[in-house]
Amino acid sequence: MGLGVIMAIGTVQPADTLADQGRPASGRTWRQRVWTARWCYLFMLPNLVLAAMFTFYPTVMSWYFAFLDWSGFTSDKEWVGLANFREIMDDSFFWDAYWRSFQFMLVAVPIQVVLALVVALILNDSAYKLGPFFRTVFFLPVVTSSAIIGIVMTFVFSPFNGPINKALLNTGLADRPVDFLGDPDTALWTVAGVWIWKWFGITMIYWLAALQVVPQDLYEAARLDGANRWSLHKDITLPMVFPFAVVIVLITVVGSLNVFGLVQTMTAGGPFFASEVMEVYIYRNAFGESGIPRLGYASAAALFFGLTVLGLSLLQGWGLKKANDARSQMKQA
Amino acid sequence: MSSFITRRRLMQSTIAGAGALALGTPYGPAVFGQEATPGSITIPDSAGLLPTDDITFRWIDSGDLKALFYTEFHAAYQEAHPNITIQYDPLPWSEINQIVPLGVQSGDAHDIFAMPEDVPSAQAVAEGWVAPLDDIIPDFAAWKERFPLGSFMDGVHVFDGKTYTFPQTSSKRYWTMMFYNTAHLEQAGYDPESERLTWDQYREAARKITEQGQGQYYGVVFGGQSTGRFGTFVRNFGRMAGASAGGSLGFEDIDWRTGEFVYTSDEYLAAIDLLVGLQADGSIFPGSMSLNDAEAWSQFPQGIAGMILEGPWVIPQWQRENPDFSFGLASQPVPNSGDPIPMTYEETGSNQLWVYSGSPYKNVAGDMLSYIGSVEGQVAIMAATKGFLRALVPEAAEIAQASVPLDPYAGEALALYDEQLRLGPMVPVRNPAASQVALERRPLTPDLGQLVQGILSGQIDDVPAAMEDLQSRANAELERAITAAQDAGAEVSRDDFIFSNWDPTAEYTAENYQ
Repeated sequence: MGLGVIMAIGTVQPADTLADQGRPASGRTWRQRVWTARWCYLFMLPNLVLAAMFTFYPTVMSWYFAFLDWSGFTSDKEWVGLANFREIMDDSFFWDAYWRSFQFMLVAVPIQVVLALVVALILNDSAYKLGPFFRTVFFLPVVTSSAIIGIVMTFVFSPFNGPINKALLNTGLADRPVDFLGDPDTALWTVAGVWIWKWFGITMIYWLAALQVVPQDLYEAARLDGANRWSLHKDITLPMVFPFAVVIVLITVVGSLNVFGLVQTMTAGGPFFASEVMEVYIYRNAFGESGIPRLGYASAAALFFGLTVLGLSLLQGWGLKKANDARSQMKQA
Repeated sequence: MSSFITRRRLMQSTIAGAGALALGTPYGPAVFGQEATPGSITIPDSAGLLPTDDITFRWIDSGDLKALFYTEFHAAYQEAHPNITIQYDPLPWSEINQIVPLGVQSGDAHDIFAMPEDVPSAQAVAEGWVAPLDDIIPDFAAWKERFPLGSFMDGVHVFDGKTYTFPQTSSKRYWTMMFYNTAHLEQAGYDPESERLTWDQYREAARKITEQGQGQYYGVVFGGQSTGRFGTFVRNFGRMAGASAGGSLGFEDIDWRTGEFVYTSDEYLAAIDLLVGLQADGSIFPGSMSLNDAEAWSQFPQGIAGMILEGPWVIPQWQRENPDFSFGLASQPVPNSGDPIPMTYEETGSNQLWVYSGSPYKNVAGDMLSYIGSVEGQVAIMAATKGFLRALVPEAAEIAQASVPLDPYAGEALALYDEQLRLGPMVPVRNPAASQVALERRPLTPDLGQLVQGILSGQIDDVPAAMEDLQSRANAELERAITAAQDAGAEVSRDDFIFSNWDPTAEYTAENYQ
C-alpha cells in the first residue's frame, strides 16, 4: 500500500484532469458504470471477501467486545459500558506500554527514514553499478518472517558466545558481555535496532520510487550551471522529494507501532515490562497471562490504541493531500 | 570447553528446546520421538458398542511425558480396531487454549481434549462442553472403584454428582529438583546426590563453578524470561524453609492455617536474597534473563552451567539428545539450619482428559479411557514413561515398580517426591461452590515471578516494600474475586480459604475435611 501511495503521488495529474475523472460520465447510470468495470470488481471480490472475514469483521467485533466483561470463551457476556476504558485509564502498565510504543516510534522512525534516504540517494546514482545487488541485500530482511528474525537475533545478541558480544570483547569496546535483551536499559532499543534493520529495505524502496520522479533534466541543467553533488541534492532532490517524505514518514510511523512479532520473540516485553509495547500489553491481557483471559479489557486497550493509530493514518491522508498540492504547484512552476 | 560449546551447538539445542516448547508444554518437552511399538500393549475387547465404519478419532493434549505412552497406546488401539484412525495432536498449551474453545464454539472440537489452562473445569461443565464419563465408560462404577479413596473430588473431577474426568496420573511432583553437570560439580568438590547442598553451599558451589569456568561456563542457569520459574524458585525454597503455604483456585502462597498470604514472610524474602546473592556473585549464566525455560534446560547439556532447577521432563530429552551428557539429580537445596519442611501439592491429578459432549464417538472415548484407568493401562503408562509418570491406581503402581524397568532417575525423583511433598487442602473439595472464585480471579500484575525478575534486573530496589505491595494486592484481589463470586450466586467466603487443622508435615486426607 505504501508503495502504491508513493507511486500515486508520482503520477499525480493536473487538477483539471483529476476533476474530469471524478465527474460521472454523462448519461450513464450507476449500473452501467459498474457493468463496464465488472472485471475490476470481479477480481477485487476474493480479496474483499477475505478482508471482510479476517479484517473488517474481527475489527468491528473487537469494538463491541471493548464494552464487555468477557473472557472470550464463555456464553455469558456482561455489558459493562465504559468500565474497561475507565480501568485502562488507571492502569499504569497500560500507560507505560502506550508511551513506550511512542518512544520506540520517536527513536526508530527518524533513524530509519534518514538512513534509508541516504542509501537510496547512493543507490539511485546510475553510475553505481552495484546498485541492484545492494537493493536486494537491503530488501532481504523485509521478506523474512519477524518471528524467525527475532529468534535468530536472540543468538546474535546473546551475552554468551553471541557474535556481537564477541566483537565487543575482542575489540576492547566492552570488558564484559552486555546482556542486550536482559538489561532494562538496552532491551527496547536493541529491538528497535533490529526493527530498523528489518524494515530498512522497504523505506529505501519508497525513497527510490520517490527519486524516480525527479526530472533528470533539472540535474542536467544544474550541472551545466556548475552545481556540485551536494548542491544537486540540497537544491533539487530534497525539495522535489519533500512531499513524499511526509507520506514515507507517516507510513513508517504506523509500521513502528506494529512490532509485536519482534518484541515477543526477542524479549516477550521484559525484563519486568521494560520492553512491553502496546501490542504485547494487549496480547498479555487477552491471552498471555495466568488467570481468566480478559478479552473485553484487551479489546478496549486495543481500541484506544487503534484510535491513536487511526489518528496518525488520518494525518497520513492529510499529508498526502498536502503533498499532492505541493507537487502540483512545483510542476506548474 | 569453548571448543565444544559452539554457537551452532547452542542453536541446535535451543532450537530443539524451542521445538519442544512449540510442540509441548511451556515447561516440558512434547513427543520424545519414541517409536511406537505395537504389541507391547494389548487392547482388551471392548465392553461397549463401537462403530464399525471407518472413523477418525481426534485427540488433543500437551504431549509431554504422556506422549510416550499415547504413541504406543494409539498404535495398539488402531491395530485392535483397524477401522479407527486416531489423529493425535500434541500441541503447546498456547495452542490448546485457543483451539479447544474455538472447536467447541464451532461444534467441531476434538473428541478428547485437555482442558485449556484458562478455562475452569466448572465453567466447561456448566457450558456443556464435556460429557460425563458415567455414561460412556463401560461398567463405570467398578472402574472407578479401582482408584484410591479421595481420588475423585467434587469441583475437580465430579460436578453435580457426575464424573467428568479422572486423575490419570499423580500430580505429586515438583519443578525445582536440582540437576547438575557431574563434571563441573566434581571439579568444584561437590556431590549433591550423596550430600544435599544447603542454600549457602548452593551459592558457594555456584561461585566456585563460575570461577573454574573462567567465562566458559557458570554456576547456575535460569530461564528468566519464563518469570513463573522465578516464582516457583521462591515458593519452593521459602516453603521448604518453613513458610508453609499452598494454593487453590489460582491463588498461591496461602498459609492454610490462617488463610493469609505469605509473600512477606522471612523465608520468601530469604529465598529472594539467595537469588540476588547468586547474581551479585556473577554466578548466573549471562543471558539467563532473556532465555525462556525450555531454552535454558535444552542448553544445559552443552555444559553452560553447573546446576539447573527443573522438573522430571528434562531427563528423557537429555538422554535422547545428549546420551554422553553426564548429569546428576538431587534434592533442591535445603535450608541452612533445621529440618526441611515438606512442600505442599494439590492432588488434582495430572494429564486429565475430557470428552467433548458433541463427539459422535463418545463410546470410543469411553473405551479408551476405560483402558487408561485400568490396572493394565496404568502399568502401561509407567512402563512407557519408564516411571516418570506415576500410576494413581495402587495395584498398578506396585506391579509396575516390581516388574517394569524404571529409569533410575525416575526412581530417584519418586523418592524425592515421597519425602518432600505432602498433600495439601483444596478449597473446592470442601466447598465446590468456591470454584466460582477461580472464574472471577484476575491475574496479579506484577506477580511473584515478575517481581523477582524486576529485582534481578535492577528495576526494583526495595524488596520488602515490593513484597508488601504484592501481599496487599493478593489480599485485595482475593476479596474482590470472592465478592464477585458471591454476586454471581456462589456461597463462598474468605473462611473457605482457612483450614485450621492443616499440618504441613502431614497428608491432608479426606478425613481432615470433616
